[in-house]
Amino acid sequence: MPETGTPHILPQAPWFTWPDLHQLDPVLGLAAVMLIAVVAASALHRLFKLPRLAGYMLVGLFASPMGMGLLQPADLDGWKPIIDLAIAALVFELGSRLRPRWLIDNPWLAASCVLEGLLAALAVGAALVALGAPLLSAVLAAMVAASTSPVIAMATVHELRPRGQVGERLLMMCALNSMLAMLALKLWPLLSLAGQGTLANDALTWVASALFVVCGSFLLGLLCGWVLDRAARLSQQRASAPVLQIALVMLAATLASNLGLSPLLTLLVAGMTARALMGHRLTVEPYLGSAGAALTVLLFISLGVLFDFDGAREVWPWVLALVGARLLGKGLGVALLARPSGLGWRQALGLTLALQPMGSLAVLLVAHNFHWAEQLPGFDAGVMQALLVAGALMQLSGPLWLNLGLRRVAGECREEMPRVA
Amino acid sequence: MSLEAFTVSEPLTMGVELELQLLDTLDFDLTPRAQDLLRALDKHPGAWDVKPEITRSMIEIGTSIQREHAALRDELHDLCRQLSRGARKLNIAIGGGGTHAFQHWSEQQIYPTERFHYISELYGYLAKQFTVFGQHVHIGVPNGDDALWLLHALSRYVPHFIALSASSPFVQGVDTGFHSARLNSVFAFPLSGRAPFVLSWDEFGEYFQKMTSTGVVQSMKDFYWDIRPKPEFGTIELRVCDTPLTVDKAAALACYLQSLCRYLREERPFEPAEDDYLVYTYNRFQACRFGLDGEIVDPKTKQRQKLRDDIIRTLARVAEHALDLRSLDANNQIRDSLFDGNDARWLRALRQGGAPLPALVEAASARWMMK
Repeated sequence: MPETGTPHILPQAPWFTWPDLHQLDPVLGLAAVMLIAVVAASALHRLFKLPRLAGYMLVGLFASPMGMGLLQPADLDGWKPIIDLAIAALVFELGSRLRPRWLIDNPWLAASCVLEGLLAALAVGAALVALGAPLLSAVLAAMVAASTSPVIAMATVHELRPRGQVGERLLMMCALNSMLAMLALKLWPLLSLAGQGTLANDALTWVASALFVVCGSFLLGLLCGWVLDRAARLSQQRASAPVLQIALVMLAATLASNLGLSPLLTLLVAGMTARALMGHRLTVEPYLGSAGAALTVLLFISLGVLFDFDGAREVWPWVLALVGARLLGKGLGVALLARPSGLGWRQALGLTLALQPMGSLAVLLVAHNFHWAEQLPGFDAGVMQALLVAGALMQLSGPLWLNLGLRRVAGECREEMPRVA
Repeated sequence: MSLEAFTVSEPLTMGVELELQLLDTLDFDLTPRAQDLLRALDKHPGAWDVKPEITRSMIEIGTSIQREHAALRDELHDLCRQLSRGARKLNIAIGGGGTHAFQHWSEQQIYPTERFHYISELYGYLAKQFTVFGQHVHIGVPNGDDALWLLHALSRYVPHFIALSASSPFVQGVDTGFHSARLNSVFAFPLSGRAPFVLSWDEFGEYFQKMTSTGVVQSMKDFYWDIRPKPEFGTIELRVCDTPLTVDKAAALACYLQSLCRYLREERPFEPAEDDYLVYTYNRFQACRFGLDGEIVDPKTKQRQKLRDDIIRTLARVAEHALDLRSLDANNQIRDSLFDGNDARWLRALRQGGAPLPALVEAASARWMMK
């Protein structure tokens, strides 16, 4: 070490370092962080009215290498099956809450769902291209950015319990735009081939592959929903219902993943099928909600640990453009068909804000680990970084957007009544 | 404040108001979407009216002025179709029934109008507990004196309408044992019950003036009587019916009342007396508690008889008038329902068959929306 003239009596190392928990045992580290997260999130909620989910993510962020370095993203790889289950349970519940018939009863709503995703994608793509991003990468980033995080949306809906148009449309749009994003990712190799001029040779293969994913996921979802119905009828025991649901969710997600299908689409269809077949016998929320409470905390801490703000200084104009264009595109898409679809202007604003949380984890449930970016070869590194930073930003702030949209603007959440001791 | 003059209206014309449940299509609990639905129905082409009610999970619809059964039924069908289409567009369901089977009163939200906020401030939690759903039937009368005579003459038939329309056996998730538990909520209000026994509009005006001078009431709307005069419409308003599970039943009940009013006005089978009210509350209770199997006491003869039997006899007496009013079909439907049972019985049968309460509400809603 070069001589710096520092008096030798001063210690050469800091008097305290945070324990390197992940070196000891990743399970121990994450368990400790979970404990802290619950207490800290409650304190933040009490002091600053910060949504608890945002609190969990903040604790995860502080524990990540960006904060105190208690946990490394690689530590989460061992937890992936459990985190996948948490995501899968939320996506299954999302599916069970959707009534596809609504899109037929209200065709303007169906058009609005497509339009908000399309306009958001167009706006983001155009903004990125205008800032010099390669066209194909901009297109892919735009399609991923069009989606709203089903995980953040469902978990926040659990917390806020909205009752109204905005909450219901949020879930419907969230499911549809996530499927769109999933399809875009499945078709990415096709797009990248188009850029290399070898499209004609492999196009048919990739289209067939995309069709296989969509049809296969749909059929598997139908089958899983049917199996749950039959199993529930055979068991005839109300207490076993949550166990059956958890087993089915794990089965559906794993099968879809192993068969190269889309777990997202499979679970959504499974949820819808189970609801259609079982009606009021399917009570997803109270069971998976309570059993999944710990999973939700774990999931949101993990999101915080996985946030990637690397290179934010370099790509901030792209991040700003992406976030701004997305807000504008979604706002325009919602507003254009708000009145014909039966939505008031204030509700349209609320819905636009509630659609802002952006996430990729549910879309990419298929990945074997959390390094999903590596699975998209040929994707421009700068655009990818901008997408990751924007995604992290919009996930971290997601509960705040939803709180603003659903509670403050749309007024769909019942204020907690003070309890008399 | 003095009572307004009684508007002259064509005798025996009728109008029906129905308070309806707005339901979430996922769990079939009440959902506060009245504003959305009212906006969706803003420019409906029908002659009927739709307006908000005390809490945001309710709406009230009112028909135009009608004279006979077929036209009333057609208008109610049109209204039902348009309302259902609007509701489906917003992913909500609509249902009849006097109470929602499992809603919790504390979760209800007061509809944001000056009057509803006034009621909420005055009555406190009772206002939210008033999330119950009734059918009101207006019958046209030519003047205030006739209105008061008819109002008191009808008092002995009030149990008929309670038992026939009863569709509120469940409250807050529990089977109350009543056929119409809705009226127990109405009874909690200090100005509920029956109108004072006065037979001239001038005397009624004096009573009204005394009441307003005490500051207890401000307008006729503050009286929650079972039957009340409605001077601005030129009608009397029967308010004891639960909202039935179908619009056909609602039309039939209105036409049974119309033919009964014609019978009373034209044949004057008795003169109403203060003593008629000696058994009023008892008979009313019997109808609420036991429905058509209730046992009522005749205020004149003091004889006891089954409510069902009394309705059968009354239907026979008013048959000629029903024929003249072209509402014989309606009265036949009422007769059939005496043997099939009221809506409360239908709901209980579903429950006893193992249906969970949300499934029961869904089934009731499917009937109302004519699915």
